[in-house]
Amino acid sequence: MAFKKLLGALVAATMLTAPAFAAGYPERQITMVVPFSAGGPTDTVARLVAEKMSSDLGQQIVVENVGGAGGTLGAGQVAKAEADGYTVLLHHIGMATSATLYRNLAYDTLNAFEYVGLVTEVPMVVVARKDFEPADFNAFKDYVKANGDKLTLANAGIGAASHLCGMLLMQALETPLVTVPYKGTGPAMTDLLGGQTDIMCDQTTNTTQQIQGGTIKAYAVTTPERLPLFPDLPTAKESGLDSLEFAIWHGIYTPKGTPAEVNERLSKALQAALADGGVIKAMADLGTAPSPAEDATPAALKAKLEAEITRWKPVIDAAGTYAD
Amino acid sequence: MDLLNNLALGFSVASSLANMAFCLIGVILGTLIGVLPGIGATATIAMLLPITFQLEPVSSLIMLAGIYYGAQYGGSTTAILINMPGESSSAVTAIDGYQMARKGRAGTALATAAIGSFFAGTVATFLVAIFAPPLTTIALKFGAAEYFSLMVMGLVMSVALAHGSVLKALAMVVLGLLLGLVGTDIYTGAPRFTLGITQYADGLNFVALAVGVFGIAEILRNLEDEHDREVMTKNINRLFPTREELRQMVGPVLRGTAVGSVLGILPGGGAILASFASYTVEKKISKHPEEFGKGALAGVAGPESANNAGAQTSFIPLLTLGIPANPVMALMIGAMIIQGIVPGPNVVTEQPALFWGIIASMWIGNLMLVVLNLPLIGLWVKLLTVPYYILFPIIMAMCSIGVYSVASNTFDLYAVAFFGLLGYLMSKLRCEPAPLLLGFVLGPLLEENLRRAMILSRGDPTTFITRPISATLLLLTAAVLVLVFLPQIRKRRDEVFTESDA
Amino acid sequence: MSAKPKDRTDIATGLLLMAAAVFFGWQTMGLEIGTSLRMGPGYFPMVLSGLLFLLGLLVFLKAFGREDEPFGKVAWRGMAFILPAPVFFGLTVRGLGFVPALFLAALIAAQASTRLKPLHGLVLAVIVTIASTLIFSYGLGLPFRRFGPWLQF
Repeated sequence: MAFKKLLGALVAATMLTAPAFAAGYPERQITMVVPFSAGGPTDTVARLVAEKMSSDLGQQIVVENVGGAGGTLGAGQVAKAEADGYTVLLHHIGMATSATLYRNLAYDTLNAFEYVGLVTEVPMVVVARKDFEPADFNAFKDYVKANGDKLTLANAGIGAASHLCGMLLMQALETPLVTVPYKGTGPAMTDLLGGQTDIMCDQTTNTTQQIQGGTIKAYAVTTPERLPLFPDLPTAKESGLDSLEFAIWHGIYTPKGTPAEVNERLSKALQAALADGGVIKAMADLGTAPSPAEDATPAALKAKLEAEITRWKPVIDAAGTYAD
Repeated sequence: MDLLNNLALGFSVASSLANMAFCLIGVILGTLIGVLPGIGATATIAMLLPITFQLEPVSSLIMLAGIYYGAQYGGSTTAILINMPGESSSAVTAIDGYQMARKGRAGTALATAAIGSFFAGTVATFLVAIFAPPLTTIALKFGAAEYFSLMVMGLVMSVALAHGSVLKALAMVVLGLLLGLVGTDIYTGAPRFTLGITQYADGLNFVALAVGVFGIAEILRNLEDEHDREVMTKNINRLFPTREELRQMVGPVLRGTAVGSVLGILPGGGAILASFASYTVEKKISKHPEEFGKGALAGVAGPESANNAGAQTSFIPLLTLGIPANPVMALMIGAMIIQGIVPGPNVVTEQPALFWGIIASMWIGNLMLVVLNLPLIGLWVKLLTVPYYILFPIIMAMCSIGVYSVASNTFDLYAVAFFGLLGYLMSKLRCEPAPLLLGFVLGPLLEENLRRAMILSRGDPTTFITRPISATLLLLTAAVLVLVFLPQIRKRRDEVFTESDA
Repeated sequence: MSAKPKDRTDIATGLLLMAAAVFFGWQTMGLEIGTSLRMGPGYFPMVLSGLLFLLGLLVFLKAFGREDEPFGKVAWRGMAFILPAPVFFGLTVRGLGFVPALFLAALIAAQASTRLKPLHGLVLAVIVTIASTLIFSYGLGLPFRRFGPWLQF
């Protein structure tokens, strides 16, 4: 009977996928959930490190894109997944901001995950259309303060890096601008290139090529130190805007209850991936660098997440825009 | 001559044995996966993307581009054979292509699609090569007001998609617009029409909607009465178009190519309109508009050409600005970045071999596609002789996988069932799905750009007529309106109560 | 048949369109309408709901004074088996895993036709499942779990 055979096959197959134990971890393929669509900047970071982590672990890591609702759907899915180390989450700063931006999250951000480590921190650049008047960042500050009501600030939608950075910028300059939201970075950048909007603040991953091509004008970076990529750009901090220090950090998480040794093993693989020449080069091209080994650890990521939730709550509450 | 040198460089890159092979593999894989029902170009590329990561940058992008054309052609094949479009563009092909197939002209429809696509692809490739940088400058002049006016024009045109009651078609467009608004409002973050389901926060999945209202509704129609209804005529006359049919094709293909090339350049979603716009044009200038919706050759030739031309020229914003015009292009950008190439305005000058190599491979890919697919037409048509009751469980399995693979969202599968039901209900009520689909695609763009234009103009509605491009588009819209409604009004005078509705 | 001709299909269409308009309008109630500078999330949907209602009303009114056309048969059996197939796949793909979920979904869909004998349906479902698993799971390496947590013991 075909059915009996099939049943036999089913049983046999399920035996093969018996629960895994940490001892020989990893024994099978690992799924890395990226809570954004394929091809986006976060997906790119994930695929870069997943490949190198696979070779260190000796098991394939496959990237699964579970996009939607600002990354909260994918995160929610991992929060509910089995804590066996075969489902991991790669998420960015949105992990911390969504705790405030979304008032009805399906999971408790601080209590639903274990930590593997930080992956990279992508710096932000304050940019404007290429014929924007001010010559440097000091002139920019004065100009924006004087003309705030005439200027437009583009962002890529609620919760996007450019939205968060825009909020910080307006707060630091104490000047509200007319914000123009877009669906994603692509259209927002197109309108900035076309001079339809005035100012944007976005990750180097999206802005570097345009700045180098002279199609947009860069004013400042949001890192503590100047970037080797743009040695002439001042940091916001050295120009007196202390609060505009900000990067899009990425971290890897596992579901709550994942054994500590599994997280340690993944963290070791992450450190190996981040030390890889190819990864360093690819990240440098995007204007960023891998997190140092001491940050690619569970403790560092946990501290980062807690600190960032505390940091963003008042900023988001002050802006009064929520995503649900 | 710069152009010739550049093209020569491009062809020398693209015609290396390895790159030709990757292009071929891409086209074959794309066709094979894309031809599975319910799996369109986006899903195909998302599935096949990881395969390309191990290759050299040029080879990987050439292969991806091949997958893209292949998937698109495969999508048209399923649209024609089983009324199952996987992409908004092939939804238009389904209207007349499927009717042709039912009348035993599936071979002609498929050959028309292949030939039209190839011609359009060739022309558009040269357009990309010659005009990419200057065209980009024009595209950047399109702001929110211009896009809004363009979308209005598209909506007005959509009425022509219907072959029945104009009133019902308008109602379907509006219903589609409303369905398109489901999800989080990007301006305020307020969820709209999601019924509290977070999984719909980013809107309803297009593939779910298209598969539901077209494909599943068609399956249900065929299951209505299995005993005295034959889905397909068994006598398939010819596989290839006759000389007469080839002659008929020329006009639609040329016009479709022109329409598609122009719309594809706009990074804000112009390519979406390409096939719809071409269909409208063909129906308006045809001597037999009543044939549209019942298997008109021009209704396949025009949109297919427009679609392919648009697909080609939508590489322009990608390559010159580094900005994706559609989800497929976004995937290509991701692939480029993983390969260590950050797309942007410098790619043309910094990586000439890559840039021109991709352009040359576009043409080679299109050539391979036509060479590969013309002989396959016989095979596809044979597929129609498989009894329908065997075909549809396979179709259901494939489209479940296809829809799920787009975003791993199980709620998209529930949406498939819902839209299948809606589509079947619509067909029972003699409402057509194509206007609904266009409304769905345009709804978010229309609202987004309207609101953005108002913000940018500080609440001044004259922005739409004081900006020259926007004003021109609105004038054109008015002209189309007159063209669409004049014959209607005239007709109504003659036959007040007997408006044909079928 | 009543004395006056009327198109029952269009009467139903008009009423359903109006019902849909009312539903969307009702869902819009809680949304802010806004101003012309900052249109709220409710502005556009409200306008569209109104428009849809109007169109529904027109379809309804025009249905009177026109002959009916036959409605035809309804594919009850088809609906009963085709529509649940993707829903079932969605409900079980994470729990049971890709292979059993797909097998059962194909099996359900196969029941929709009276022409396909149960045994043949079973064979078809097995073939579809094996082929799809080979293509999508092994061939393309899609990140679906072949057998899910519900089947682990």
